[in-house]
Amino acid sequence: MLSIADNYFSQFELPVGYDIDLDRLNGQFRELQTIVHPDRYAAAEDEQRLQAIKLSSYLNEAYETLKSPLRRAGYLLQMQGVDIEQVEQSDLDPELLFEQLRLRESLAELPKDESALERLEELHHATSAKLAQRQREFADFLAEASLGQARKLFHELQFLTKLQAEIEKAEDAIV
Amino acid sequence: MSLLQISEPGGRPVRRTDRKRAAGIDLGTTNSLIATDVNGEVRTLADADSAHLLPSAVHYRADGATTVGAAAKAQAAADPANVIVSVKRALGKSLDELEDSGDYRQYRFDSECEPGSPAFVTAAGVRNPVEVSADILKTLVQRAEARTGEAVEGAVITVPAYFNDAQRQQTRHAAELAGIRVLRLLNEPTAAAVAYGLDTQEQGNIIVFDLGGGTFDVSLLSLRKGVFEVLATGGDTALGGDDFDKAVAGWLADQCGLGGMDSIAARDYPAMLQAANRAREALSEAEQAELSWNGSSFTLSAAEFAELAAPLVRRTMLACRRVLRDARMETGAIDNVLLVGGATRMPLIRRAVADYFGREPLQDIDPDRVVAIGAGIQAEVLAGNKPAGDFLLLDVNPLSLGIETMGELVEKIIHRNTSIPVSKSQEFTTFKDGQTAMALHVVQGERELVGECRSLARFSLRGIPPMVAGAAKVKVTFQVDADGLLSVSAEEASTGRKAEVQVKPSYGLDLDQVEQMLKDSHEHARADMSARALREARLEATRLMEAIGAALEVDGELLETAERAAIDQALHALRQAMAEENAARIEERTEQLNHASEGFAERRMNMTVGAALRGESIDAIDERTE
Repeated sequence: MLSIADNYFSQFELPVGYDIDLDRLNGQFRELQTIVHPDRYAAAEDEQRLQAIKLSSYLNEAYETLKSPLRRAGYLLQMQGVDIEQVEQSDLDPELLFEQLRLRESLAELPKDESALERLEELHHATSAKLAQRQREFADFLAEASLGQARKLFHELQFLTKLQAEIEKAEDAIV
Repeated sequence: MSLLQISEPGGRPVRRTDRKRAAGIDLGTTNSLIATDVNGEVRTLADADSAHLLPSAVHYRADGATTVGAAAKAQAAADPANVIVSVKRALGKSLDELEDSGDYRQYRFDSECEPGSPAFVTAAGVRNPVEVSADILKTLVQRAEARTGEAVEGAVITVPAYFNDAQRQQTRHAAELAGIRVLRLLNEPTAAAVAYGLDTQEQGNIIVFDLGGGTFDVSLLSLRKGVFEVLATGGDTALGGDDFDKAVAGWLADQCGLGGMDSIAARDYPAMLQAANRAREALSEAEQAELSWNGSSFTLSAAEFAELAAPLVRRTMLACRRVLRDARMETGAIDNVLLVGGATRMPLIRRAVADYFGREPLQDIDPDRVVAIGAGIQAEVLAGNKPAGDFLLLDVNPLSLGIETMGELVEKIIHRNTSIPVSKSQEFTTFKDGQTAMALHVVQGERELVGECRSLARFSLRGIPPMVAGAAKVKVTFQVDADGLLSVSAEEASTGRKAEVQVKPSYGLDLDQVEQMLKDSHEHARADMSARALREARLEATRLMEAIGAALEVDGELLETAERAAIDQALHALRQAMAEENAARIEERTEQLNHASEGFAERRMNMTVGAALRGESIDAIDERTE
């Protein structure tokens, strides 16, 4: 049905790198999914159906990994043999930790009603901008194979993404 | 797990044969329709009275006769126990669920029936929801056969995108009972998109805004090269055009000096709602509407109505926002907005939708008929009357799947709106030293506490080799297939021991529960957060106390009397705080205990693992030294 490529990028015929053509990813994903989706094997033997489920799950996983900027960053590091599960003390600058702490505190101190929405929106924008900036820097470090730096930035991206999710959650709790 | 099953059954092989009469059926909560090809164009069919909408009401009379539609609906007030309305909400539900919902208070349920398949006791005998639905379907098919003079050979029937397996199965059974061959069950928003011919476009993101009489659904579909994907669904099962009527009726009661809805006599209420409904519909065409009540006359302007409706409109917009957020999409990424459901005729709804999405919604096709028309078009394709496109629907699971962890918290493994099929693994570890077994509890829902999610299954993993707490690595894999069926397996990494469970469809959630769970998660997000903080604080405190207790037993002699007293005092204070519901206090005392034991930790550390680990907290050291 489908031959499994060495990595998710070549599976979707994309160049390996942080900057990614999302349209092409979407297009390739759907094209491949059209071939392997279990709906196409509704009347087939169990074994073939099982294979379709596996391949279709694999494609979904590959697609979701590349689609998410954070997961894509982690995947690229892992492709380079970088262990992203263990966080070394030296990966986290005190300034970064301090800033995250400050942002989290300001988030926690906001009132839990609609009066906080404007501030939340600001925080959201600021975090988005910061994320975008750090993503660009990550892409640069990765391109020049500065893996230590890239790994450091990856952890910062994790912080920022988590913070963004918490801001959204706080917004959801209000609206 | 059947709730995951929002996949549309795969298209059946299409045989090219002679032209066959095929139809599309929108089996709705309030009204139902049938559409078929009329001179090369798919249209909905009217009854002898020129009415396209067939009220989804069935009257089971004492003389054994059955009437369906407007005539049945007209008897609802006079013979409430024998006129079954809104039967769609009863499909795929248990007796308890129907009784708890409050929607079916006027009916008597058969005491003989299985709890899993309730039935109504009517004057004409016992009828279950499948049979009632079948009576509606039969009436529609008879209408089509009378109008076309041909037998209907197959039909596409629409269902809400989030219908679970039981609901889909019962819809299918109803069709079979009515003698209809089901070509396919099609999601309602997908049908609307097909009606607008959007399936032939290269690509696009489509919002389907469906505000019916009593339910509101919003779906986000993505279309690319003939592949439809349901990116997210949301809405409110208790919001519809009826609520706008109620708002107007409340206003009318105020105007009459009745001092609000509560003081309206129950027998006056239906008439008042009718007056309100007429006024609301008039406002779709005019800037103001006249209402009369008890000989007095009142004028409701469009602006006043807008004010009354504002809270309701806001709820629909919040649901849209949530769906976009679930799909991580901005309004600018939406290419088309479709309006479905009669209540979307209200200009203020159209305006709100246009404002929110920054584009005019498509509204060329009658919003009451668009779903049936789309189903009819698809029926033409599946019956072989039209060439089949490359039509494939990729689905998402509508509720998060997770596993219970310590402290009755839920660790989400497959988040809602993840594309299926999907396989996800997560590693868990043991909590206590020497722990050899682990119970895994699989739940479904958005809440953070186990008790507030729906339990799907429990299974246990045995034979974990005894290790220090945190050393065993248990990899849990969730696999959800394209039909939405979940299987869970668990394996300990070092020994490869496995356990597996298959979740049976009987665990399926019903629509109201999904909605309720989503709503609850929304309303209680804050309560959850503080409950979670408390549980985490307690967990952390317990870990520290256990670690210190164990350390004291082994290395207690390293301590000076004063140090020992300080630690004991901090332990005591923390134990006291644990008895209260104050996360901040527990954290504070945990920190104090940590502080009191710092010197002790340092000495143990120096003694046992050397200076390399300096700066780590005592519990971490404790785990490594044992």
